Amino acid sequence: MIPSNNVRKSGMSIENIITLPTMKKPHLLFTSLFISLIAIVSSCSKEYSANGGYKPPADSFNLSINFTPVVDTIKLSFDSSYTNFWKEPFNVTYFKFYVSNFDLINTDSNRIYHVNPDKYFLVDAADSTSWSVKLAAVPFRYNRISFLIGVDSIKNVSGAQTGALDPAKGMFWTWNSGYIMAKLEGNSPVSSLTNGKFEYHIGGFSGPDNALRKPTLLFPYGQFSEILVGSKSTININANVQAWFYNPHDLKIKETPSCTTPGPLAKDISENYSKMFTVTAITN
Amino acid sequence: MRKQLFTIAIIILMVAIAVQVNSCKKNDSAPGTSALTFKVPVNFPTPSFDFKGNPITTQGFELGRKLFYDGLLSKDGNFPCSSCHQQFAAFITYDHDFSHGFNNQFTTRNAPGLFNLAWQKEFQWDGGINHLELQPLAPITAPNEMAEDINHVIAKLSADANYKSMFRAAFGTEEINSQRMLKALAQFMVMLVSANSKYDKIQRGEASFTSIEQSGYTTFQAKCSTCHKEPLFTDLSYRNNGLTLHPQLKDYGRMRITHNSADSIKFKVPSLRNIMITFPYMHDARFYTLDQVFNHYAGGVVQSSTLDPLLKNGIPLSPTERFNLKAFFRTLTDSTFIKDGRFSQPQ
Repeated sequence: MIPSNNVRKSGMSIENIITLPTMKKPHLLFTSLFISLIAIVSSCSKEYSANGGYKPPADSFNLSINFTPVVDTIKLSFDSSYTNFWKEPFNVTYFKFYVSNFDLINTDSNRIYHVNPDKYFLVDAADSTSWSVKLAAVPFRYNRISFLIGVDSIKNVSGAQTGALDPAKGMFWTWNSGYIMAKLEGNSPVSSLTNGKFEYHIGGFSGPDNALRKPTLLFPYGQFSEILVGSKSTININANVQAWFYNPHDLKIKETPSCTTPGPLAKDISENYSKMFTVTAITN
Repeated sequence: MRKQLFTIAIIILMVAIAVQVNSCKKNDSAPGTSALTFKVPVNFPTPSFDFKGNPITTQGFELGRKLFYDGLLSKDGNFPCSSCHQQFAAFITYDHDFSHGFNNQFTTRNAPGLFNLAWQKEFQWDGGINHLELQPLAPITAPNEMAEDINHVIAKLSADANYKSMFRAAFGTEEINSQRMLKALAQFMVMLVSANSKYDKIQRGEASFTSIEQSGYTTFQAKCSTCHKEPLFTDLSYRNNGLTLHPQLKDYGRMRITHNSADSIKFKVPSLRNIMITFPYMHDARFYTLDQVFNHYAGGVVQSSTLDPLLKNGIPLSPTERFNLKAFFRTLTDSTFIKDGRFSQPQ
């Protein structure tokens, strides 16, 4: 295992060059040339440029973020019946959401690292293999994590995508281009729809209807997530279905059994579910 | 000395930039493909299609062409894209108000012509689709059109050896996914350029209007060309042109997308290119003849809060003006385009 100190040092080298004291003129010329060259050469390494120059081998990862779909604190079961904040009984048939644009944060040193900004993940409660998100992070101590619930506006306007963003995943509106950021469907006896169905497809990526949310999550008190090259860290996060129904907006299945277009309602629901995540444990 | 140093420094920097620019170039076209040039007609503006994101190749275009004409993309095999978009009618559904779809169903809007799509950023009468590559998803999955599921389409294509080799030729490997299918379809559609009508020949100095056509053109420029802006013959904006709300369809157009009441009953201004072969007219095809269209603008415009200000007083058109306009409109028919073998059903 490489000691993390060495890695941190080499990661600082570019900053050192930039803060070099001013030299005599010919040197200054070559110093500025050298800096320009570095800037040009490094301009292409888009993939990890935001990671402070750290380049793990392709497809490697040192950080797993494990999402667990829950109702309150119990793991979600499609066979169980639950009761929401408004005492409405319900069960769940679909629960899916996109996560992307992860940031790891250390509030003591005010550092924010964008992690794998080019990766998009679809977490599907029905497929436990999708619950774990693998990232390659800069070795450092972190005490916050932030991520986008959904797909950023750029990917919503850039034509046909593939992988997690394949429209065949059923998380894309074909008649009003855009990704469904999060989806919750189920049944409830209080719903007025056929078969007591309720259906919340939440999307909208621009203007006043923007349903993109980027919560910042605290880690359990006193715990850092310290990530070391060669080791694997894990952040466990619960995604609580109950959060969809209240705070700050009241969502009663009886009154509002469906939301399937971008708009003010979708935006309200996105504000509710932006509070559905809790970091439950960190392991190194 | 300083000057020399400076010159050397600049040269090194420029070489570095050149090397870098080259190495940065992301060439998405597969090896072995041959690039297909998209020719921008001399009288046309710069296209808005992102050719870098989807470089046109002969192999990609031919794959898109095959997909466009293949019923396999629909649930029961009967509804290829070409069933509603017929080349001989500039890719509208000829002589139909609404098009036929799966299980004897109809569409709810008139099929738009497919040409000069490279200059459009938004698609459909309401502009709800923001990229040409995404457009085919709507008709493929609409239950009253092709009624298919994208996963089924990909499974059907993947089971076909011919498609496998065509996808390999276009994209380097046999992998068939929705992105590749949509990119190939976009390559075919973006190449559908209609720019060889008599009007275009006149613009290029290869022909001239008759005196009646010229009078029609003058009337057009005075009374129609703000919305139907040359050379695309649309300004691609959304406008309420004074049609009553259809009592059954209750189609509010652009408002469905923006949820803004200011967009109520607004639809995209259609191009007048190929107008003589693309009747019936309007988003709900309520007018079968140009005379009905002229009557609407001259005396049938319905006042409402979102009515286009240009139409507040209608557009008066004398019998002579109508006659001349029709003569001018005939010069907008692109007979080369509707017979172009590159765009016809592959053998």
